[in-house]
Amino acid sequence: MMGLLSNKYFQILLRLIIGGLFVYASLNKLFNQEAFAKAIYNYKLLPSEVVNILAIVLPYIEFFSAVFLILGIYKKGSSFLIGGMLIVFIIALTRAYVLGLDISCGCFSLETVSEKGDISQRIIEDILMLIACVLIFFNADKKNFTNNNKEIQQ
Amino acid sequence: MLKTFKEVFIILVISVIAGFSANALSPNGVPIIGEYSDRLAVDSTSKSSGVKQEKQRTKEGFIKPVNIPVDATKKFFEEGAIFIDGREPEEFSQGHIKGAINVPYKEFKDLPTENKLEKLKDIPKNKTIVSYCGGGECEISIDNAYEFAKIGYEDVNIYLGGLLEWKEKGFPTNN
Repeated sequence: MMGLLSNKYFQILLRLIIGGLFVYASLNKLFNQEAFAKAIYNYKLLPSEVVNILAIVLPYIEFFSAVFLILGIYKKGSSFLIGGMLIVFIIALTRAYVLGLDISCGCFSLETVSEKGDISQRIIEDILMLIACVLIFFNADKKNFTNNNKEIQQ
Repeated sequence: MLKTFKEVFIILVISVIAGFSANALSPNGVPIIGEYSDRLAVDSTSKSSGVKQEKQRTKEGFIKPVNIPVDATKKFFEEGAIFIDGREPEEFSQGHIKGAINVPYKEFKDLPTENKLEKLKDIPKNKTIVSYCGGGECEISIDNAYEFAKIGYEDVNIYLGGLLEWKEKGFPTNN
């Protein structure tokens, strides 16, 4: 099992899936700062002074982390960042779910989450992606070890 | 661990530079500090105190809706303004501001302009409109108000306090 999880091709597949999903998720936010700020604001998690800065920077952190992850550059850093963002998303979504924030209101401007069922589904998806990120993070340096082992065996 | 932080730092620097540059160039950009949108700033000085406010136009050319506090809303209510409730019909049927018309934003926003105008043909363009929703910072009141303003309504107001505040004040409702 551990062999499969750290298998080179399985790792590439994980990186492509997570990277692809994050590039896709960031695309419509890259130039939609106002709509994204509104979506963050609706979570009522952050003071309004921070909302705009986050709306300006967060989509680009998502985008560049994802691109680096796909390309296999800075694998540790990018999986660390994506994992960190996922933890924040999971907390924010769970909180919105528990508090029943605005879900009958149609207030999420990007309209990715509108029903309570959607929120729970998003939480599960985020947890799965977080597990994938942990696997990528802890295997990011493994390639060298395997090569070394091979060299030693030879 | 140091390697991870170094990589994180590099990605963050690139993202911050790209993010702020894109925000400066984007037509949907936001101010770095402050409300994400000036749509949210409540105008408490204008109509409630009887001061005639100049109508502002947006970049797109329509007259900008004005946020109004509860006392101005009550005044408009007494003067016979049209109240537009942007929530879903089920929520509307459970209670709304007395005499309000239900225009659910979710369906309304996607209608072609001519259908919007057809739906609202009984409301003259110069009539005072007050858009509201559930309250508690529910924002379809804002979105709905902009839909009205875009199709030519000239005096559109947003009552952010919504049904929640209206009820707390004990003002007239239909249940």
